[in-house]
Amino acid sequence: MMNMNRLIVFSRTFRIGQRLLGCHARHAGKEELRLQQRRSIKTHSRHLAYAKDLFLGQVNKAEVFPYPEIGNDELEEIKQLVAPVEKFFSDDVDSAKIDREATIPPETLQGLKDLGLFGIMIPEEYGGLGLSNTIYARLNEIIALDGSIAVTLAAHQAIGLKGILIAGNEAQKQKYLPKLASGEHIAAFCLTEPGSGSDAASIQTRAILSEDGKHYLINGSKIWISNGGMADIMTVFARTEVEVDGVKKDKISAFIVERAFGGITNGKPEDKLGIRGSNTCELSFDNVPVPVENVIGEIGGGFKIAMNILNSGRFSMGSSCAGMIKKLIELTSEYATTRKQFNKSLSEFGMIQEKFAMMALNAFVMESMAYLTAGMMDRPGIPDCSLEAAMVKVFSSEGGWICVSEALQVLGGLGYTKNYPFERFVRDCRILPIFEGTNEILRMYIALTGMQYAGKILTGKIKEMKKGNIGLVIGMVSKKLRASLGASVDLGLTGKDGVVHPSLEDSAKKLEQNVSLFGSTVESLLYRYGKTIVDEQLVLKRVADVLIHIYAMTAVLSRASRSISIGLRNHDHEVLLANTFCNDAFFKNNYWMVQLQKHSPENNDANIKKIAKQVLENRAYICSHPLERTY
Amino acid sequence: MKGSRCLHQLKSLRLLSHAGRLLPPAAAGNNGALFRPRSSSQLGGLQCAQREVLRHFHSSPACTKGQPARFLQEEDKTRDKSLVTHDDLFEQVAKEAKTKATFNKVIDVYTKGDIRRRGHVEFIYAALKKMPEFGVEKDLTVYNKLLDVFPKEVFVPRNFIQRMFNHYPRQQECGVQVLEQMENYGIMPNIETKVLLVQIFGEKTHPMRKYQRIMYWFPKFKHVNPFPIPEQLPEDPVDLARFSLTRMANDWDAKVTVYQLPCTDVTESGAEVTLPHIVGIQSPGQMEALAKHNPDRPVFVEGPFPLWMRKTCVYYYVLRADPTPPEEKIEEPYDPERCLSYPLQLDLDLDRDLGDDESFDVEDLDEGPVFAMCMTSQGDQATLNQWISGLQESNPILGQIPTLFRLGAGPRELQGVGDADSASRSWFPSHVQREEAHPGEEAEAVVEEEPRRSQGVKQ
Repeated sequence: MMNMNRLIVFSRTFRIGQRLLGCHARHAGKEELRLQQRRSIKTHSRHLAYAKDLFLGQVNKAEVFPYPEIGNDELEEIKQLVAPVEKFFSDDVDSAKIDREATIPPETLQGLKDLGLFGIMIPEEYGGLGLSNTIYARLNEIIALDGSIAVTLAAHQAIGLKGILIAGNEAQKQKYLPKLASGEHIAAFCLTEPGSGSDAASIQTRAILSEDGKHYLINGSKIWISNGGMADIMTVFARTEVEVDGVKKDKISAFIVERAFGGITNGKPEDKLGIRGSNTCELSFDNVPVPVENVIGEIGGGFKIAMNILNSGRFSMGSSCAGMIKKLIELTSEYATTRKQFNKSLSEFGMIQEKFAMMALNAFVMESMAYLTAGMMDRPGIPDCSLEAAMVKVFSSEGGWICVSEALQVLGGLGYTKNYPFERFVRDCRILPIFEGTNEILRMYIALTGMQYAGKILTGKIKEMKKGNIGLVIGMVSKKLRASLGASVDLGLTGKDGVVHPSLEDSAKKLEQNVSLFGSTVESLLYRYGKTIVDEQLVLKRVADVLIHIYAMTAVLSRASRSISIGLRNHDHEVLLANTFCNDAFFKNNYWMVQLQKHSPENNDANIKKIAKQVLENRAYICSHPLERTY
Repeated sequence: MKGSRCLHQLKSLRLLSHAGRLLPPAAAGNNGALFRPRSSSQLGGLQCAQREVLRHFHSSPACTKGQPARFLQEEDKTRDKSLVTHDDLFEQVAKEAKTKATFNKVIDVYTKGDIRRRGHVEFIYAALKKMPEFGVEKDLTVYNKLLDVFPKEVFVPRNFIQRMFNHYPRQQECGVQVLEQMENYGIMPNIETKVLLVQIFGEKTHPMRKYQRIMYWFPKFKHVNPFPIPEQLPEDPVDLARFSLTRMANDWDAKVTVYQLPCTDVTESGAEVTLPHIVGIQSPGQMEALAKHNPDRPVFVEGPFPLWMRKTCVYYYVLRADPTPPEEKIEEPYDPERCLSYPLQLDLDLDRDLGDDESFDVEDLDEGPVFAMCMTSQGDQATLNQWISGLQESNPILGQIPTLFRLGAGPRELQGVGDADSASRSWFPSHVQREEAHPGEEAEAVVEEEPRRSQGVKQ
């Protein structure tokens, strides 16, 4: 443990150094040195992970406290960037028209390109803006005001060209990134095929090496490709035959495919509920010749690349949703304060007030989670934040959906008409829980990744317990007894070496209590289910929900503590929000964890499964009509 | 509330009709014999008549002894002048036609013929016995009509002693018997039945209790069968086969294919050739299992197996294989690169705790997969081969797998017909054993389970 801590401190100093160095490098052009530095840091890659340790009932406070900050110059940079983008989105983007005509006008696209939004994360040496994840998240707050543009840009740079960025070789980067960064070429990510999106076995597109060994010929078709109709460069995943230990095996490989290679046709754009301006269509590949040098990474290594791309793109949804909700609050609060009913303005009604409080809370939590995660990702090395990013995505997509719908509710019937943008927000927002990995699948990922991690560590202990090791059992029982007698859990968030501001002490205590109970819950789940927990989706769902809320609590505590400490404007409001949210989440978590400790007949799981089984067997709602009679 | 109101209305209606029914013969007045008992009873005891002004039929047995006998005799004269039992009455009518109409006519003849309804218990028993013969055993209106034969009000107990003891036991038993037969055929009484029973026997009598019991249980059991068979099975053998195959497969995705429709052809030589129908069913799951079948191991066409549906028996054939031997069973290895989003398996050395093991210890007997089923009117190898070749279109692997025919004698045994040749050629039409379709007027009031079982056993 000590060792680890030292390592963190070590890497921190490096980070600061690197940042300082980076600033100079930008001006002095010491690219070589900078790269060198980065590489040397990579070897000290982060092993600790905040979310994973929660499964063991530990708060790894060094990971999340203090709340990540950016340097002053970076902040300046953001401000300079954000202003024109904001101006562009408020003046030049007609979202209603994009939605109505289901296409983004070329002049709008050109404006986006001119702002450099097509290459936010592409390093400067390849012509991009070379911005960090944090700034990317900040820009997404504004971009998200138009769902279609947000999706188009995300498909381009969060997944479309990410493959080249993270796994491509220097030649590929040199060749493709500059044009992609300028927006001259638009990228798309072609993974999904008919069948299921997450099942690699459904990938039937095949790449066969030509006889001269210089080309791969790709055949197959892909569905639901964002930007499919306009993309010039595509990251395509296809099956290839690979020899592993003398046995020929089908493995997935990633290719950079240019539309100019020929043989690519796209279908009609899908007519969607929301994000109508984004182009989604089917792509088919007919003997598309791809030069061997266009293989990303090594042949057969496509699976890892796909997973990395998907895992890295999700964190920004938190800031996108937060940006959208902030906008919604502005739009609706004007209506709520001006409209009168019974000689009172709407804003005086408790139920309307509740909606605004909820929106503010959600925006605050999403923001906190998103920037905490982005900050973690911006640390040197290649920190594995996929778990945190998935949590941000699940929380913000669901919170966003509720907020949008409540905002519409404030306006009542007016919100339901096309005269107001709310219906469009509702439609656009509906995609969030679906794409970039459905929330169901992400919950599985969140819970199972943590379970796997905790299981590895706890296996020995659980086996001892199953054998009937008296000492361990007594230890467990006494721990539980102490907890039930109300002994407070101290995980070091407050008190002498505390990291949480005293005004948030209660909330921090709640978080600690939740974490400690979560640790023992996970242990008992592993004891009860072992590896068969994979099949207990209802259990895993609760595990994921608890973890998401614990992470959210952490994020708001960390953020609010920093805000008070450095005296940000309205930090008292932040404290209020943080305490409210923690209170709420504490109860929810406790409820879920109590359910997790029960057996399926008591927590309704057995019933839920039975109902679903009977309904699905008959493929219908099977109750007799209440007006039916038998005699 | 509704029921009682209805009861009330019906009651008053019935009283009216009683009066009406009594009036015509009396009003006709040309028959002295008919008129006499009325007047004699009036003469016999004026005070008595006044007291029993509502009880039309109940008259003092002593004073009317002579008259009804004469009346009966006179009635008999119109019917071949012989003493006929009620059985004969039905038999006489049966010579013409055994239908609901004639059955109703017999009841009408009886009720109109004898104002006192003499021997109505015997008549009802006889009628109950004859009902299946006339094909009205499932007809609620006929049962109600039969109950209507009972004289009203006479058997209603009027004081607590009568109520305590078995008042008119023979009549009550007969009433119970009517309900019993209804129950056996799964006929649910309706409100009219209840009104009749109240009028005949009164509340809280044995027939009423029986009625209440039926009304308690029948609705509860009405939908007890999760796989109900319709009252009326399809007539067309192809439709019947389609229906029974779907029923057996019980799979929403299973697809029925008609490989051949039945038709009759005349060959050049003039011989009539009847092509049998071939209807098969196969689900996508079965196709998948067949595609994975090891082509070195044969598949079998087996049958015929009987399937009973109500009173119809059909025969089906299956395409199946022996269970895969354990050494050939290969479990698909876990592919860690299968799921892009989350691990499909955890790499843990921990098993499920016993406390959470909710599975039952079931001894699994591997029976071998069934790949498809079919029904045909002609179960010879040539016909079934046609089915297999039809299947081959959607299951190309069948071309590589040896197919063995293991056909039993099947239906012949059940039929008990000696002629093997004719049986194998054309057993089907005779073998879709079917009894007359029954009038399904009260289909909604019919409870299916019990009678079906009893009928099946009888057969």
